[in-house]
Amino acid sequence: MTTTAPETGADPTLLRVRDLTVGFTTAQGPVDVVENLDFDLERGGALGIVGESGSGKSMTSLAIMGLLPKGARRSGSIEFAGTELTGLPERGMRAVRGDRIGMIFQDPLSSLNPYYTVGTQIAEAYRSHRKGVTRRQARTVAIEAMERVHIRDAARRVDHYPHQFSGGMRQRVMIAMTLSMEPELIIADEPTTALDVTVQAQILDLLAEIRAETGAGLILITHDLAVVSEVTDHIVVLRDGDLVEAGPVERIFTDPQEEYTRMLLDAVPRIDDEIGLLRTTSAAEEGR
Amino acid sequence: MSRFLINRVLGMAVVLFLVCLFTFVVFFVLSPDPAVQICGKNCTPEAIDQIRANLGLDQPFWTQFWTFLSGLFAGRTYGTGANAIECAAPCLGYSFQTSQPVTDMIVQRLPVSATVAIGAAVLWLLAGVSAGLVSAVREGRFADRFVTGLTLTGMSIPNYVLALSLQFLLVVTLGWLPFPQAVPFADDPVRWFLNFLMPWIVLAIGAAAVYTRLTRANVIDTLQENYVRTARAKGLRPDLVWRRHALRPALTPIVTIFGMDFANLLGGALITETVFGLNGIGKLAADSITKNDQPVIMGVTLLAAFLVVVGNMVVDLTYTAIDPRVRVGSAK
Repeated sequence: MTTTAPETGADPTLLRVRDLTVGFTTAQGPVDVVENLDFDLERGGALGIVGESGSGKSMTSLAIMGLLPKGARRSGSIEFAGTELTGLPERGMRAVRGDRIGMIFQDPLSSLNPYYTVGTQIAEAYRSHRKGVTRRQARTVAIEAMERVHIRDAARRVDHYPHQFSGGMRQRVMIAMTLSMEPELIIADEPTTALDVTVQAQILDLLAEIRAETGAGLILITHDLAVVSEVTDHIVVLRDGDLVEAGPVERIFTDPQEEYTRMLLDAVPRIDDEIGLLRTTSAAEEGR
Repeated sequence: MSRFLINRVLGMAVVLFLVCLFTFVVFFVLSPDPAVQICGKNCTPEAIDQIRANLGLDQPFWTQFWTFLSGLFAGRTYGTGANAIECAAPCLGYSFQTSQPVTDMIVQRLPVSATVAIGAAVLWLLAGVSAGLVSAVREGRFADRFVTGLTLTGMSIPNYVLALSLQFLLVVTLGWLPFPQAVPFADDPVRWFLNFLMPWIVLAIGAAAVYTRLTRANVIDTLQENYVRTARAKGLRPDLVWRRHALRPALTPIVTIFGMDFANLLGGALITETVFGLNGIGKLAADSITKNDQPVIMGVTLLAAFLVVVGNMVVDLTYTAIDPRVRVGSAK
């Protein structure tokens, strides 16, 4: 007699998005900001979603989290670790949010509540997902998470308020908050855009380090191809809510199939570039 | 922090000095001769002179003002010889109509006004803030529209209409409440409570409506903040998101107006106290205005100004406690 054991972890796909459409109803009628989007993310994989502002990349991440703004329509399928998220009731979705999918936002100052210490804000997520955790235990978790993102003197800094941290340090706090839950997937929405260049590099290194350490999947949303090339192995290029091109990073960088991808690549400044006219995507398209 | 405190106290002293000066000018210089009014009908010029001397009205303005100010801190004596009247510090003046120092009259009535103010404030804060929160998180839905309708009604009803109709309805028609009668708390706590219930409700309704609108607007604003999105992304329960992340920041401006409103009310609720026959500061003000008892009117005015200035300072200090970004002198 043979029994089939439940195949845990047999599916290598962590996130499978199919036919995802996000739309709003405006005074001018319905508008789709994301249209029929398909992509996959393997367990432990890193995917970059790239596009200009308005391309629908942030809406894609909010759709995965079930945090779309009021009045948004979402259709299609989002399958996360074998669970269909689109049909999940709010309570079920809350159990996924923060705990299994962590999110890092663009502006770490406005994304942290100015009224609470960073420790409180890190511990709060932990306590709401792990039942029976004492305040003290959650605080220890917060300090450990802060140490893991290399915030020095974490035991003291845990009681500081967001405004007492520099921009880069705030983003580290955000990452610590996500990290404390050991999520299977981290979605980082423009995590370096609000930071200055040297700090950007540090945060990207940190994201790469955490990925290697925890084996969590990563979705990095950005307008900056240079950022994507450092951290991710696959890229999805979006434009006006449509998928333009998808593939491994090397392939996209060396052999872009679409004119639009080529234009985005041209927009990445290179050290050997001659300084010419600033090209916009629309101007380039018209052949100027 | 101490420097901030010193600055605030000095600023407060300046404001209070100016308020004193202004009130003094209005009541003692611009108004008709108080001596004539105090003397009343059948008055002889000698009697008027006597009163003028007693009140110090024969002195130059600045001397009078100085006597008044020093009376506040050191007390003063009205008149001389056998007729001399002692007025201990802080002397706000002397009411010749009731033969009582104004300070005593105010101190006697302060507990009633404080009871009225505290009870009403608790009611309107609880009602206003919770209704505002419900209205905000249910924005545009039935609960929001319902609350909005209630607040509009609450704001439009004048105090005295509400007070009189409540009294008529609850006491006369339905008989749910006993006829208001001054009962000390220690004698009959239940009766005491029932006595104050109507004034509390009357004063709370209008304010609760304003606080509901304010809380609603602030919470709706705060719900747009990125940190609320972060809280949701952490998977927090909605009630935690609303209470901790939306309500707390939204309450800061409410603390400001609450400090002002409460201080205002401590200084006497003129209409409500009069309608319900409560012997508070408001009633005192109303009575002295009818009787034109100027020292009392002035004393009550100064008290109100003092309370507002102090309330303002308390609000500023509270700010440093509730908003970590305003904490003065905190290390970076």
